Amino acid sequence: MKKNYDVAVIGAGHAGCEAANAVAKMGFTTLLLTLNFNNIAFMPCNPSVGGPGKGNLVREIDALGGLIGRNTDQSHLQMRALNTQKGPAVRALRAQTDKHLYQQLMQYYLERQPLISIRQGEVSMLKRIKNHWRVTLNTGVCYEVPVVIIATGTFLRGKVHVGLLSYSSGPQGQHPSIALAENLEAQGIRFKRFKTGTPARVRKRSLDFSRMIEQPGDGVTHGFSHWLPWEPKKPISCWLTYTNEKTHQIIKNNLHLAPMYCGAITGIGTRYCPSIEGKVVTFPQRDRHQVFIEPEGLNTDEMYVAGLSSSLPEEIQDEFMRTVPGLEEVEMVRPGYAIEYDVVAPDQLLTSLQIREWPGLFCAGQINGTSGYEEAAAQGIVAGINAGLYLKGEEPFVLQRNEAYIGVLIDDLVTKENNEPYRIMTSRAEFRLSLRQENADLRLADYGYKFKLLSDQEYQTFMEKKEKINNKLSFLETTYLLPGSVEADQLKKETGVDILQKTSLRQSLKMPEIQLTVLWKTFNQQSNQTTEEDEVVENLIKYQGYLEREAKMAERLQKTENKKIPSDFDYFSVPNLSFEAREKLNKFRPETMGQASRISGVSPADLSALLIWMTRSRKK
Amino acid sequence: MKDTHTIAAISTPQGEGGIGIIRISGDEAIRIGSKILSHPSGKKITFWPERQVRLGLAVSPDGTIIDEVIYFFFKKNRSYTGEDVLEIQGHGGYQNLKKILTYTIKAGAQLAEPGEFTKRAYLNGRLDLTQAEAVIDLIRSRTDLAHQVALTQLRGELSTVIKEQETRLLELLVPIEAALDFPEDEIPDLEREQALNVIQTVQQELENLLAQADKGIILREAASVVLAGRPNVGKSSLLNRLLGEERAIVTPIPGTTRDFVAETIDLDGVPVRLIDTAGIREIDNVVEKAGVERAWQIIREADLILAVLDSATEMSREDQEMINSIKQKKAVIILNKTDLPVKLFSEDLRAKFPGYTILSVSAITGVGIKALKDVIREELMGICGTDEHPVLVTKLRHKEALEEAVERLHSVAEGLQLQCSEDLLAGDIRSALEALGRITGRSVSEEIINEIFSQFCIGK
Repeated sequence: MKKNYDVAVIGAGHAGCEAANAVAKMGFTTLLLTLNFNNIAFMPCNPSVGGPGKGNLVREIDALGGLIGRNTDQSHLQMRALNTQKGPAVRALRAQTDKHLYQQLMQYYLERQPLISIRQGEVSMLKRIKNHWRVTLNTGVCYEVPVVIIATGTFLRGKVHVGLLSYSSGPQGQHPSIALAENLEAQGIRFKRFKTGTPARVRKRSLDFSRMIEQPGDGVTHGFSHWLPWEPKKPISCWLTYTNEKTHQIIKNNLHLAPMYCGAITGIGTRYCPSIEGKVVTFPQRDRHQVFIEPEGLNTDEMYVAGLSSSLPEEIQDEFMRTVPGLEEVEMVRPGYAIEYDVVAPDQLLTSLQIREWPGLFCAGQINGTSGYEEAAAQGIVAGINAGLYLKGEEPFVLQRNEAYIGVLIDDLVTKENNEPYRIMTSRAEFRLSLRQENADLRLADYGYKFKLLSDQEYQTFMEKKEKINNKLSFLETTYLLPGSVEADQLKKETGVDILQKTSLRQSLKMPEIQLTVLWKTFNQQSNQTTEEDEVVENLIKYQGYLEREAKMAERLQKTENKKIPSDFDYFSVPNLSFEAREKLNKFRPETMGQASRISGVSPADLSALLIWMTRSRKK
Repeated sequence: MKDTHTIAAISTPQGEGGIGIIRISGDEAIRIGSKILSHPSGKKITFWPERQVRLGLAVSPDGTIIDEVIYFFFKKNRSYTGEDVLEIQGHGGYQNLKKILTYTIKAGAQLAEPGEFTKRAYLNGRLDLTQAEAVIDLIRSRTDLAHQVALTQLRGELSTVIKEQETRLLELLVPIEAALDFPEDEIPDLEREQALNVIQTVQQELENLLAQADKGIILREAASVVLAGRPNVGKSSLLNRLLGEERAIVTPIPGTTRDFVAETIDLDGVPVRLIDTAGIREIDNVVEKAGVERAWQIIREADLILAVLDSATEMSREDQEMINSIKQKKAVIILNKTDLPVKLFSEDLRAKFPGYTILSVSAITGVGIKALKDVIREELMGICGTDEHPVLVTKLRHKEALEEAVERLHSVAEGLQLQCSEDLLAGDIRSALEALGRITGRSVSEEIINEIFSQFCIGK
């Protein structure tokens, strides 16, 4: 039995899979441990990937050479383009996936990676021995590895609630991980409790779709992946229906049986993904709430009831569902439930996702207090890359807030006191217009190639795309519209815009009336089909002013990010810090002045005091 | 590790006052206090109750009584500076206070630098930046009006006005952001016309603040008023007349006022820095040439120029060139020496230089000086500083932040009318909020997210 690997990844969910793939691609032997080999990349909640912010994360992971994008493209049931009319910054793809196919594809992909060994087993103990970690399974088998990545999702001391019934469990009836949590806690890792939940699943044939509104997929022209050719599939529809006063009345009558409201749950729940009982209590003025019925896969009759997440007793869930149009005869497959679990108090994390003071121990995914497959995968790939860099003895890979949503996510995690599972949102990004989904590869592919997560061939594709973009930009720059020319006349016919003086195409594209497709048509350059390069080119030109402003802001940010704070800095030696700032800074131990400025409770006054003091102590 | 020393200073103005205050701030305040103060009975003070008026004696190290005093003690975190503070009120008499201060310093305190108490208050988070700056202004304010403005700012009125605008913008922004992040939830569409109204209201409010900003900055920094003119037109005499006393050296030989004389006067509440330049004329002398160049520099930076002509001589080419060269600046033409036979008449000038205020004065007799002072004040301040037009913005930093906010809002207004997409509108509103936050210290990013969740039912 092979006992020595470079890396052990504990957990094969969305974070664990990306982490294992990344570090293995960097050339390190990787042991991927899972509680159940059948549940690799399992989606315990919504069978959906993407949306605003989340979709950007998927594109970024893909640009770095991660798996979630390609795997989603290959297993999608329908794909929609959201926010198409609200501007380039917030355009987002969202996919419904076949959750079973998603798992199979991910499992098979990882199985084919020569440096990855997947092993079923429960880790019960981690121990630091010299500069190695000993990973012990509950069967007594031990592995010796220099690096461990913990990606245990909601399994650590998982506790499921359905009404007043509660029991130790992982998600959807899986085995929880208790021994490991106790072992880590005994060694000084601090945990806090979070809560999340999921709705019931129902049987397709028990539903009356004639009473619902069909939500078909869009004819999108590309998927998430930069590297796989887009293969559209015959879209499978989702269905929309609504709750009503009757539904709400049943819920109100039974609140005393809801663990969130009778005090049985101590963990903190999410605001963006509330249970139906939460919505009814918080928004009593609403007379209805949306319910989306979503397919879970092609080869199953199970359907997901989005919007009715609940931890009321199974019978009550059944009762209130029956008041919803189309669900009158509903047959429940599994009830909704709430789950509480341990998360690592994030002040223990460095931006590399390593635990501070625990060299070689990284954490990724829901264990760090996030929610969502995309957020987990993002941390997975970063933890994987940083595990590789740690093994090589190189500086960690830290994405800045102006480079990627991944940077925003991790920076928020390590500088903010999150009281609920963290979800990415576009409104968390200061550089929203720069972090568009269509330019993810332009922002990140160089890193992906540098770390060997992208193949030569993939990088070649990227370089060709970049060249095409540059060619198009220079064509627009050097081609002119002349007043009275055939082209100008045609443009006027198409857009109503009069060209009164010699204007470069680039200049003309800045006019709101003129779209790039029209210019191509006018100049017989190509068909109207919008390619990804065109989207980049058009956004670069149309939003140049805004992008330049963000670039200036980024420069200012970079200055504060370049001011490093020594890791052993003694905040208690700075008498001028406010009490709150001192406590917070000492707790989060920011790595840079930029991070310090984003910790809540640290005021500009504290920052100037800190700056003065750092300069002083450097002089000494 | 600690090296913040305890500081002390006389906190009341120098001169003969009824009482005088010595303030001591820092960890050593009590230890020092017990060395320089004693109980009225002469016993050592061992009990220092917080925030209570106590009677005591100020004593020298050899036990000599200097003064009968009252003192207060403020504990750390509950004092102005955020440190332990001991305040001693003595019976006026500057010499007495100085003696007490001397012993305070002998006992271990260090003499405070100007503004150091406030600086500590700021560093300890007792004041926000706007307030701290206002205190410094209050201490430094040169005139009553400037003093009033500083007081208004200390009370946080600027912050209050700006915070109102922040709240308006936030209310507009939250539904837009919610819809961007949760396209599949039921969030009402943006009402562009209504939004435009809000934006324009806020824009107007900020522009009102900005309209007074230059004047505010003048009140804080003092306006620079430059006397320009060829040599021997009587600039120095005019300066002295305005100052109300002889100060600059005045001679009838051209070129004697080679360096610049600058004095600050209080013009009915407006601090004005009067600057006399070297006579401007073309010369070969290198030393003088440098002086002339500097004069031009000062003229370029002036808030107002007094272009002085000699009414007893004909208008010269030099005079003509001087006035031409300051066309871009705010200026008043002054005909000096009306006490001598007049050869240059204001009517002629009026025809020649339309649009300029032209005043005849005599620096020697004082005729026309009152009118000149009124003109200077009005040119600088217009109608500001009244109740309807309060001056709140006195910092360049604030002015720049306001200008940026207005610019961003302008872009929002334009975008709303041109049907720009919501991501850009939201981005501009955020930038405006970020700029305003540089004045109020409010950071809205978390607030936006909290508001989204409290206002809208999110989550499919």
